[in-house]
Amino acid sequence: MTTTFRQRVWRFVATYAFWIFMTLMTLVPIWWMFVVSMRSRVELFARPNLALSRFFIENYSNVLTDSTFQRYMTNSVVVSTSNALLVMALALLATYALSRYKLTGRDNIFFWLITNRMAPPAAFLLPLYIMFTRTFRIGDWTLYDTQIGLILLYCVFNLPFAIWLLKGVVDGIPIELDDAAMIDGAGLAGVLRHVIIPLAAPGLAVTGILSWVFAWNEYLFAANLTSVNARTITTGLAEFVTVTGTNWGELAAMSMITLIPSAVIVILAQRYIVMGLTFGAVKE
Amino acid sequence: MYTNSRTGWLLLSPTLLVLIIFGFLPFLYVLFVGFNEWNIFAAEEGLRFSGLDNYRRLVFDDDFTTSVQLTLKFATFAILSELVLGFILAQMLTRNFPGKSLFRIIHTFPLMVAPIAVGAIWRLLVIPGFGPAPFFLDRWFDLTYQIGSYPDQALWTSVIMDVWHWTPFVTLTMLAGLTAIPKEPVEQAKVDGANRFQVFWYVTLPFLRPVLLTTVFIRIMDAIRTVDEVWMLAGGGPGTRFTGIYIWRVVFPRTDYGYGSSISLITLYLTIVLCWLLFIAISGRRKGEVE
Amino acid sequence: MEEQKSENGKKEFDGFLPFYTNAFDRVFIAVVILIAVHLLWLRFMEPQTAAEIANRARPVELATLLSFLIGFFVVRYG
Repeated sequence: MTTTFRQRVWRFVATYAFWIFMTLMTLVPIWWMFVVSMRSRVELFARPNLALSRFFIENYSNVLTDSTFQRYMTNSVVVSTSNALLVMALALLATYALSRYKLTGRDNIFFWLITNRMAPPAAFLLPLYIMFTRTFRIGDWTLYDTQIGLILLYCVFNLPFAIWLLKGVVDGIPIELDDAAMIDGAGLAGVLRHVIIPLAAPGLAVTGILSWVFAWNEYLFAANLTSVNARTITTGLAEFVTVTGTNWGELAAMSMITLIPSAVIVILAQRYIVMGLTFGAVKE
Repeated sequence: MYTNSRTGWLLLSPTLLVLIIFGFLPFLYVLFVGFNEWNIFAAEEGLRFSGLDNYRRLVFDDDFTTSVQLTLKFATFAILSELVLGFILAQMLTRNFPGKSLFRIIHTFPLMVAPIAVGAIWRLLVIPGFGPAPFFLDRWFDLTYQIGSYPDQALWTSVIMDVWHWTPFVTLTMLAGLTAIPKEPVEQAKVDGANRFQVFWYVTLPFLRPVLLTTVFIRIMDAIRTVDEVWMLAGGGPGTRFTGIYIWRVVFPRTDYGYGSSISLITLYLTIVLCWLLFIAISGRRKGEVE
Repeated sequence: MEEQKSENGKKEFDGFLPFYTNAFDRVFIAVVILIAVHLLWLRFMEPQTAAEIANRARPVELATLLSFLIGFFVVRYG
């Protein structure tokens, strides 16, 4: 096919026009949040204006120097990181089992695992609350308001998703490689370490990233199953709306701050995300 | 395929253990409460067995049926737009052009924003007298835009918000699917004289079908249980009273746990049936289909 | 999934349903039908007038009976 110079120019312009338009659509809400975070209370209620008038960093310094915020931030980091690691480990084992072993009702298990993610959260909060405050208690210690409680709870919606993601990846690794490793004398751990993990690395990376992001972003459970010690950053966000009569500037500043870690991770792991997201639905 | 199923179950057991404790046991509890009358502020305390009464109330509850309709409307429009938009974007991303990865990174951003922050951002955009959306719509198009007073506008705003938030996810899965399509059939079809649409319809789409269905599956599941985003955006006002939010209102301000549980169960039931049918389609178990 | 189908051919059941099912799937379908029948019965068949309620006309147990019949049929021949 031959293309004339004009066609090529037109195509070039069209491509970039399209992308610039899409980028604007994507960025306008985030830009607006940034603008709001740069305004004082008084300026906010002036005429809406999308331009940034000046750098007003008081909102940020207020949030960042707040010790409550720092605690929330630490909790969020600890909870989402441990949850992502735990989910990666458990999901890898589970997926390997589902992919390689002849288990009764394998397909059914695969489907029913994900139904865990479908439950409407509101009504399920009550049994979880009871469980957290009464069932799991050793002396004075309960699961309520602890990081470990949230870490385990987030597995309920992250694990099934992770298994769905990883299943296709592990299915795509030929079982002959496992056999070869076993003939060379590797045990199950050896097979996992030397065959599965290296080959499934992109998929595992995506699993970890998405679990991390979902855990970082989770709100309802964190808000209702913690009170002081294990509160996470998203609950802190919501507190601005209810408690302080909605201080929009600080709310926006805090939203911007919560965005940064996820954004950094996405930029760093961009390549893997596309490689690993096939859900194994594509078979070569 | 290894037949040593004991090892298999052993590998699966930690996952099952966690899910049974934190997923299945709460479900059983909700199932039990669903058959009871239980209101903290009622005259008599504690649970009172009431048989099917909650369900009797539910089938005649117009608020509930409206909320289901709204949720389905929301999910349908949001997911359809996401699929179309996501496909176009993914298709554009399969080409090579300078700056591609930058655009891709920017486009992935919304996916990483916490739902509650998404709600906050969009609320900032649409609050009357504060956000730019009502201001500019009024100035340029002479349109009164107030999600608090017009239920339709609230619904469409939440659809657009969902599209903004989740299209990146669809784009990424589609992109993964598109890059995994083998080149030969496409080339062959072009050689045979198929036009663009025919290539798309007869070659790309069948290859993409599993990815497409899985994406729809995950999106449906998550769209139905959306609460925090929409709650933050509209505070559960008219037009956005989706099932998740309706349950929330029954359980929390009214503390009507028995009824809330039964609504949850029916919602869960509808979700599972819908997703199960999709799963059957994904796993290709339909008869008379060439495997 | 192809290999599994050939390995245990008798588990993947070929009945009147438009897709292949195993026993668990058919029990699940039966439960889905059970719930649907009950909800529909509560909505459309249960007596609403005082006279009918006094007679215990069309009690919900009939729905249970009906769904067990359908359920049996699905599990056995689905």
